[in-house]
Amino acid sequence: MLSLLILVPLIGIVILNLSARAPARRLAFWFALLIFISQILLAACRHPVLWNVEMKQIDTFFKVSLSMDQISFIMLLCIGIVSIASLLVARHTIYDEKELFKFVNLLIITSIGMNGIVLVKDIFTLYIFLEITALASFVLIALEKDRNAIEGSFKYLILSAIATIMLLTSIALLFMVSGSTSFEAIRQALNLANNNIILFAIGLFVCGLAIKGGLVPFHAWVPDAYSSAPAAVSVLLGGIVTKTVGIYTLIRLLIAVFGFDPSLKTILLALGALSIVFGALAAIGQNDMKRMLAYSSISQVGYIILGFGCGTFLGIAGAIFHIFNHSIFKSLLFVNSAAVETRLGTTDMNKMGGLSSKMPITGTTSVIGMLSAAGVPPLAGFWSKLMIIVALWQSGSKTYSFIAIMASVITLAYLLIMQRKVFFGKLSIENENIDEARIGISTASIMLAVIIIGSGVFFPLVFNKFIAPIQELIIR
Amino acid sequence: MNNSGLLLAAVFVPVMGAFTLPAIGRISEHLRNALALIFVLASLVASAMLVPTVLSGQTITVALAGPLGFNFVLTADPLSVFMAIVSSFISVIITMYSFGYISHYPNRNEYYTMVVLFIGAMMGLVFSSNLILLYIFWEITAIASWRLIGFFREKQHVIKADKAFMVTIFGALAMLFGFILLYAETGSFDLAVIKGYFGVNPISNWIVLLILLGILSKSATLPFHTWLPDAGVAPSPVTALLHAAVLVKIGVYVFARLFVMTLPIAAIWHTVVPIIASASALISAGAALIETDMKRIIAYSTISQIAFIFLGLAVGGNIGIAGALLYILMHGIAKGGLFLCAGIIEHGTRTKDITKMGGLLASMPITAISFLFCALSVMGVPPFGGFFSKYMVMSGAFNQNVWIAMVFLVGAFLTIIYLFRLFNMIFMGEEKAHSEAEGSRVMVASVAILGILSLAGGIWISYPAAYVQITLKQMLGI
Repeated sequence: MLSLLILVPLIGIVILNLSARAPARRLAFWFALLIFISQILLAACRHPVLWNVEMKQIDTFFKVSLSMDQISFIMLLCIGIVSIASLLVARHTIYDEKELFKFVNLLIITSIGMNGIVLVKDIFTLYIFLEITALASFVLIALEKDRNAIEGSFKYLILSAIATIMLLTSIALLFMVSGSTSFEAIRQALNLANNNIILFAIGLFVCGLAIKGGLVPFHAWVPDAYSSAPAAVSVLLGGIVTKTVGIYTLIRLLIAVFGFDPSLKTILLALGALSIVFGALAAIGQNDMKRMLAYSSISQVGYIILGFGCGTFLGIAGAIFHIFNHSIFKSLLFVNSAAVETRLGTTDMNKMGGLSSKMPITGTTSVIGMLSAAGVPPLAGFWSKLMIIVALWQSGSKTYSFIAIMASVITLAYLLIMQRKVFFGKLSIENENIDEARIGISTASIMLAVIIIGSGVFFPLVFNKFIAPIQELIIR
Repeated sequence: MNNSGLLLAAVFVPVMGAFTLPAIGRISEHLRNALALIFVLASLVASAMLVPTVLSGQTITVALAGPLGFNFVLTADPLSVFMAIVSSFISVIITMYSFGYISHYPNRNEYYTMVVLFIGAMMGLVFSSNLILLYIFWEITAIASWRLIGFFREKQHVIKADKAFMVTIFGALAMLFGFILLYAETGSFDLAVIKGYFGVNPISNWIVLLILLGILSKSATLPFHTWLPDAGVAPSPVTALLHAAVLVKIGVYVFARLFVMTLPIAAIWHTVVPIIASASALISAGAALIETDMKRIIAYSTISQIAFIFLGLAVGGNIGIAGALLYILMHGIAKGGLFLCAGIIEHGTRTKDITKMGGLLASMPITAISFLFCALSVMGVPPFGGFFSKYMVMSGAFNQNVWIAMVFLVGAFLTIIYLFRLFNMIFMGEEKAHSEAEGSRVMVASVAILGILSLAGGIWISYPAAYVQITLKQMLGI
């Protein structure tokens, strides 16, 4: 069953590309929508009957060992939701039909890569899926082929290549020590042998993933890549790609393979706090809406790492929930920026102001996204931050807990600047004739806003159904 | 309806109802206005219907267990019902007044949504008996007031709205941190559990300090007071709602709920808080003396009066606490009235600068009389309501600490001076600004009600005083 999450989109792409005529191109959009929706439904209902279906022929043919657990469910859900948002935005921002077709193909490939990352339990297969996702993202960023886009894509490519070398070296070393590439085998081998080579391998792996996840001080590519990419791609990248590629993988490997070393914890906590404060401070100074959101991503990733760095159930659960929340509110904010960009043709915030009177849906949903990002209750972002902060305090990292809570003030500061410059305030004369965003974009923003409010207000239900089960994975 | 139903209705009718208003506003303005009033009125009626039960000594609790100690617990006891009735009653009058005031500005849908949401969140805050729930409602009030302060969308207004939001959120986060420390120590966010725990264990001063930061920032007390005068750029009913009746009382209420009722704070705080309050009272009174913007004067006056409430609650002693509770009621009515009068004057004369006013007594007689009544109540002149509360607070203070009480006596004199100055500049002397009409009938009626109540509250002081006595017994467990 699990392999279908990878095989169905893959076969679909092949068939669609056999005849790249106009009808097939139009079909591609609906096909992508269909597979993302079914992915969301499958991940949300989580009925074991659905997930445990055995398929003999396919399983013998496609010999990748996949497994599913509570964290994967949440990630699959995020991937589905953000992909839909990105798809809807693309429909109204990429006007050329051929370009849209290319986009849809690449989007599906990215989602295949991410689904793979989430499901594998073998370190080398993991690497392959990481590269699939990364390659598709390079092309996506450079889709418009203008100078900035290619520059952003190039930066990402180079840094990603460095990360790749680190990952590969590390995998080779781990293979040397353990003689296998599966998570379980490596874990057992690491338990027996404990020497400096292993420490070096783990360090390399963590560094590689930190580059891919855009943590300070490895963040240099993030603002360029996010802000130069087409609107729909920013939604995808900012919402989910870097979180899956970098952060989720890190979490998965530490839980399943490497285990929590005290010195690793120290490093993670320091990196996390640094990212939070640096990202937020840098965001204050930005005039470009997408760059501000990109720095905000760096800062929010810091929260995830900080929560994860506790190593306790509450911390990890908070981190996973924050990945979910971040993917929703950050893609919402990027969808809002896409809406503004399509109407004004710019992302320079100094040329905006008072837009919420002309774009009420965009304005209202952006307030919801922003408040969730700043961790204001009763929205979803509040709960995950609260869990992270409580976990930090309980695990004894009191200073970090204080930094995390007080950095919310800086987060709020830059988000309020964005609101003031873009949506709140007085409408300028040259923007008097703009309209609300097109229906697809508005649908995406309403959908995401509803998820934010719903998962915030009904947090106890969300916690019991999705987050509490994570406990099984951590306490072994 | 049974008691727990009433309790839920008091909170959730306005909270949920608020979100239906924008949709209804697209269909009919009148229906939306009527519904907004009904939602707020529902809170008032539901809270009032809880009175007999709480007076008989019972407390009503609605509890729903949540994960990690984030329980949903609403409790109605004499204190919370008192606070709920005071704030929802003033809110009803302010909502009525808004019908006249806001009718010709854009974004009316947003206005009513935010006002009703604000009131609902206030109700939730008053009744909540779990710290996280309390914090959630606390922040909803912050969000609503942020939108309302920036309601007119001018650049300066939005900057001031952001400032108010930032200051209160900073305090709120400090307070949240304090709550988390409480949780780490006691293992629960429920007030009942926390009270039981600290019945035997001493509480760390750090926790008190952190929570106090939140309270002071929300109640606009020194050194976090600067957002309140700036928030005067909001529409006048909002200023009345925010400054007088509801928002600034949140901090005071939480102080009473946590530090008087639940946590045994160290003796030092009974001196430190009054000292902070005395500085706040004097400095803001001084600022009120030299300001020329009508709404800023009243805002500074609020800061100064809030300090009296803190004094009453913090010096300890039954009479001080009883006085502080009465002060919440009397000041809410009188200060709400002053702001609403200011709204009428601003509409009539199109200015907020008192040096450009004068002689408005002739063209605005009812407003002038109401203004005078409310002002006399704030000053604490007998037989107005404010006299009794101020007297009780001062008498409580003199029992405990004479020097601080003397400072507050100066603050009380200053109050008389700046309010008379304000009244003189606006209503007396030769006519500088002219106003044709006094404002719409519903607006004038609203201020008249508050003016009369300021007097009536003094004449029939025995009724609220009797209620406060019962509240006091329940709060202190005597």
